[in-house]
Amino acid sequence: MIIDINFIGLIIASIMASAVPLILASCGELITERSGVLNLGVEGMMIIGAISGFALMTVTGSLIIAIFGAMLAGVLISTIFAFLTQTLITNHVATGLALTIFGIGISAMIGKNFVGIPGKEFPVLFEGLKDTIPLLGPILFGHSIVFYFAFALPFITSYFLKKTKIGLIVRAVGDSPESASNQGINVRLVRYACILYGGAMSGLAGAYLSMIYTPQWIENMTGGRGWIALALVVFSTWNPIKILIGAMIFGGLTIIQFHMQAIGVRIPVQFLTALPYIVTIIVLVVISRDSRKIRLSTPSSLGKSFHKDN
Amino acid sequence: MNTNLKISNVTKIYPGCVANDNVSLEFNSGKIYALLGENGAGKSTLVKILSGVIIPDEGKIYLNENNLKLNSPLDAKKNDIGMVFQHFNLFETLSVFENLIIDSDEQRESLREKIDTIMKKYNFSIDLDIPILNLSAGQKQKVEIIRCLIRNPKVLIMDEPTSVLTEQETSELFLSLKKFSEEGILIIYITHKLKEVMQLCDEVAVMRRGKLVSVSEIKNENIESLANKMVGQNLKTIKKKKAKTSSDQLIKITNLNFTSEDPFETNLIDINFSVNRGECLGIAGISGNGQSELFQVLSGEIISEKNSIEFNNNYIGDLNPQERREYLMAFSPEDRLEQAAIPQMKIFENVALNNFKSSNFFNNGLINENKIKEHSKKIISDFNVNTDNIELKSQFLSGGNLQKLIIGRELITSPDLLICFNPTWGLDVGAINYIHETLIKINEQNKSIILISTDTDELLKLSDKISVIHKGKLSKIMNAEEVTSEKLGILMGGAN
Repeated sequence: MIIDINFIGLIIASIMASAVPLILASCGELITERSGVLNLGVEGMMIIGAISGFALMTVTGSLIIAIFGAMLAGVLISTIFAFLTQTLITNHVATGLALTIFGIGISAMIGKNFVGIPGKEFPVLFEGLKDTIPLLGPILFGHSIVFYFAFALPFITSYFLKKTKIGLIVRAVGDSPESASNQGINVRLVRYACILYGGAMSGLAGAYLSMIYTPQWIENMTGGRGWIALALVVFSTWNPIKILIGAMIFGGLTIIQFHMQAIGVRIPVQFLTALPYIVTIIVLVVISRDSRKIRLSTPSSLGKSFHKDN
Repeated sequence: MNTNLKISNVTKIYPGCVANDNVSLEFNSGKIYALLGENGAGKSTLVKILSGVIIPDEGKIYLNENNLKLNSPLDAKKNDIGMVFQHFNLFETLSVFENLIIDSDEQRESLREKIDTIMKKYNFSIDLDIPILNLSAGQKQKVEIIRCLIRNPKVLIMDEPTSVLTEQETSELFLSLKKFSEEGILIIYITHKLKEVMQLCDEVAVMRRGKLVSVSEIKNENIESLANKMVGQNLKTIKKKKAKTSSDQLIKITNLNFTSEDPFETNLIDINFSVNRGECLGIAGISGNGQSELFQVLSGEIISEKNSIEFNNNYIGDLNPQERREYLMAFSPEDRLEQAAIPQMKIFENVALNNFKSSNFFNNGLINENKIKEHSKKIISDFNVNTDNIELKSQFLSGGNLQKLIIGRELITSPDLLICFNPTWGLDVGAINYIHETLIKINEQNKSIILISTDTDELLKLSDKISVIHKGKLSKIMNAEEVTSEKLGILMGGAN
């Protein structure tokens, strides 16, 4: 069997495409968690982003309005979470779970009228360059702007956290909100901002699914990707670059196991479907074994409410 | 340049407690001021008001005649008031430099230069690029001080700065503070340690129950007069009688090792010691040198090799805490609210947690509440716990009362050995006295104690033999009479 080298390029590109929503949502959640907030509502925020993007695209016809509208929807729903956990000091875990249930429910309700409507084609960049380089051409060129953004995001996030003052403040708040508050940092404001940013990224991840990856609305179309994104953050030990690796492994195995099922490999389907989850977690656990680094990158105050007393 | 700080009629009321009751004080630069008081006297509230962490209900603060509005820590910083908190305000996982740059507006390079200059001037040596959690307590404090000095403060407030320091680190700190004072920084030193006040300060203000009791010059005071002002009554001094030397061995530790998987815990290396009946073995050391691991190994929270611990002629190294209690061992861990008691549970429920087979607290899996309550009432009256409500949640007990309850719970079964870890940490003088008396009484009844403590004075007062733990290793065991606090300090620092 002769395999066209460009065909391999296409497979790699499709793996990368399937990793995009995971990277976006994970990198957003990473910032939220680095500030000490555990938002388990990623799945809910993603699906809200997916329906908002698709609905706005259908109604207004504008892709730009749709993309930014989806991010805004993510921001709005995460504002609920921020208000509850930061202002009313509710429990992060319970509130996040409620957010997911709420998101899935409300997206299904809004989505009723959009089932079966075909999506629009999303413009891709550098389409013409695709055939200029073998193998690399299909990998590098002919993707949407969101795709390129997603692959830049882990590096931007890493730079932001390590090199900028605001990144330092986010890490400080996650390390010790009490100390941060005593240093005159407005802990609640920082955490609000990080939650809202996480919401925007989850919204964008959802919009990518419903507008670019599979341009249509299907109820519950995020299919647990929000939970995977959450797991990636933890198993990558809050390291954006490892999120990228984890998302690629997960995306890769998802695509490969589809192909294996199609070819008819004699392995139970259930095992194949479970494979991406198992392997991703094993790989991330293995590459993140340095307990010293874990201690240094784990936000000490993660999931704990901070209440300033006066 | 003279600095004058005036606190005028400051009042802060919390539900059920007046933390500061109309306090007025005046400070001038060139002197070191002590603010002295027991826990809960209101000194911490007062300095938190000065540093903008707490906003007072009434009263004003003037710096060089200007009325300051201190609504946040930022306001205090802007007004040149620097504060080093008792519990460090550092970010453990960030590097030293990141900790310092976070509240500074300066560029990286110029800040680095400034820090270097400060470190040279005061002989500090700290690696700026390692995370805070790798520093010793003394180094962490220096980082806090540098953070204040970067801003050229007019006022520097130190809140109980020596509670985590060794003798050497304390004298280094005092030298630095004197130097700062000579350079015109007004220093306010908060403490409940009288010796330090006498050593360091020029003037002393004493607080009790939220009120200012007295302001005086150090040269007119002595330790006894200050102690009496602080407590408000005459304290009797307790002293341990020399124990009869017994050669009846109760517990023997042989070649005990513990290797932790957590890199931030300390490994225990070749621990060997024995304690005779009626003896108190004190284990000194700077916190974080393996004390908590040693306590856990001795109490059975960490299981070790069966033969490494011999108690009353039984090998018990592989038993858990409850099984060890059946052999008449008792434990009082360091953290009262985290380890010794469950804060949200009622007093009698906490008593029941210490459950022996012989105690009959449970019948066929059901709780025998009457029995437990009876038992709890006995503890409360025998051990002077200041409450009569055994339904009270233990988090509402003061530290002293909770410690009495815990020690009482452990002792009411008259164990042969009590292992306690910093039993008087953070308690006021009255409660400390009571706990010390109780511990001495145990020894007099021919029972033994292993006292792990970071308080050298306490160890010298209570121990018959003393050893020092440093980086997980025990020094040789010395007779308490032959030991001085200076000698302990040297061993605690790691010298031989």
